[in-house]
Amino acid sequence: MRLEEGWVPVALSSSIEAGTSAGAVVSGSEIVVWRDTGGTAHVWEDRCPHRGMRLSFGFVRGDHIACLYHGWQYDAAGQCRYIPAHPKLDVPQTIKVPLYRVAEKYGIVWATASADALLPDFGADTGFTPVRSVSIDCAAFAVQTELGLEGPAAVITVDGDTLLVAVQAVTSDRTCAHLVLLGAEPHPVARQKHHARWAEALRFRLETTSEVA
Amino acid sequence: MAQPTLYHYELDEASYRVRLLLSLLRCNVDPVAVDMFPGQEQLKPAMLALNPQGTLPVLKHDGLVLHGTAAILMYLAKAYDPAGRFLPEAPAEFGAVVTWLGFSEIALAPAFQARLNAMFAAPGDADALRRRARAAFRTMDDHMTLRHFDGQDWFCGDGATLADLALFPSFALSRDYGVDHDAFPALRRWIRRVRALDGFITMPGIPDYH
Repeated sequence: MRLEEGWVPVALSSSIEAGTSAGAVVSGSEIVVWRDTGGTAHVWEDRCPHRGMRLSFGFVRGDHIACLYHGWQYDAAGQCRYIPAHPKLDVPQTIKVPLYRVAEKYGIVWATASADALLPDFGADTGFTPVRSVSIDCAAFAVQTELGLEGPAAVITVDGDTLLVAVQAVTSDRTCAHLVLLGAEPHPVARQKHHARWAEALRFRLETTSEVA
Repeated sequence: MAQPTLYHYELDEASYRVRLLLSLLRCNVDPVAVDMFPGQEQLKPAMLALNPQGTLPVLKHDGLVLHGTAAILMYLAKAYDPAGRFLPEAPAEFGAVVTWLGFSEIALAPAFQARLNAMFAAPGDADALRRRARAAFRTMDDHMTLRHFDGQDWFCGDGATLADLALFPSFALSRDYGVDHDAFPALRRWIRRVRALDGFITMPGIPDYH
């Protein structure tokens, strides 16, 4: 699924610490996922309007993100606020980074360019335990088929636990699956490890299959 | 004891592994810059007399000449880190650290070569090197994913060791040779911890955020 089509899982919430940024790719589009020091997550196009540098290489300062190249700073609305080489300049409103809608639910950061898409609903967002994001060298549909998922995000039962699998199509041959254990009670570390290893086995299975095919 | 002499090259990842440890240990050396690119001075008689293998870095100390990055790191830890913070004495902890040191020399060799290939036109099949580099990072990411469940931030033990210092540069520099960080969330978190170490220094390609 592309960002224009609906809500795409782009990271585990726990992977994006406050004051940090990370690059990601959705169906070939580069995005930056960052969290300001106040804890709010942002998802933008990963390109500084100045020289096209990826903003995910930059750094977060409070509720601004700064480009690594020349330090241009953007506020939470994507508006450029400060250009170090011209400290007294009132920055024109036209210098703005395109941004996506963002939501955090079930311990996952979701993003979309669609104005009316509905967030996936797997019941009350009451409890979750993050497992991991696993990057797999195969197409997104291969992950869905292998696990029998009804759509790009679905809940399945794995070894007695309720596992949310949220699939992010990276490129035509790369996929990222974000895994979260659902349930009001926090799952013990041993279960997190169990499912992290399950994810490694899933990756192995899918990559071995695609080599044969 | 006189202070050691370090033969190194500013843009060389292996040299940086050693400079990073020296900085964390607050250990002074006499640095000697060797022109690796384009000069290839490490392969000329003066340097070959010190290290016939023609690699950098080389450490000279009290008549002893050391080459091989892991060997130099271990030597410096023995000589300047008596508390064993970076190379613990106890067999189990020691074993874990030197296992990852071995990984840094062998499994990360393709990552090392991929960077030389991308930046200095050193020979090699760029796609194959990148693929093997990604495979090594995946092993590291899987390991750190499990470590984080236990609330651990480092490759072994409960603090930074030689393992972290030897593994850090290849991943931190991976964008130099076209391997992005997005597929390795546990490593992204880990390199932020390394960056925050007291005494941390950068090298070209590893930006200083401050």
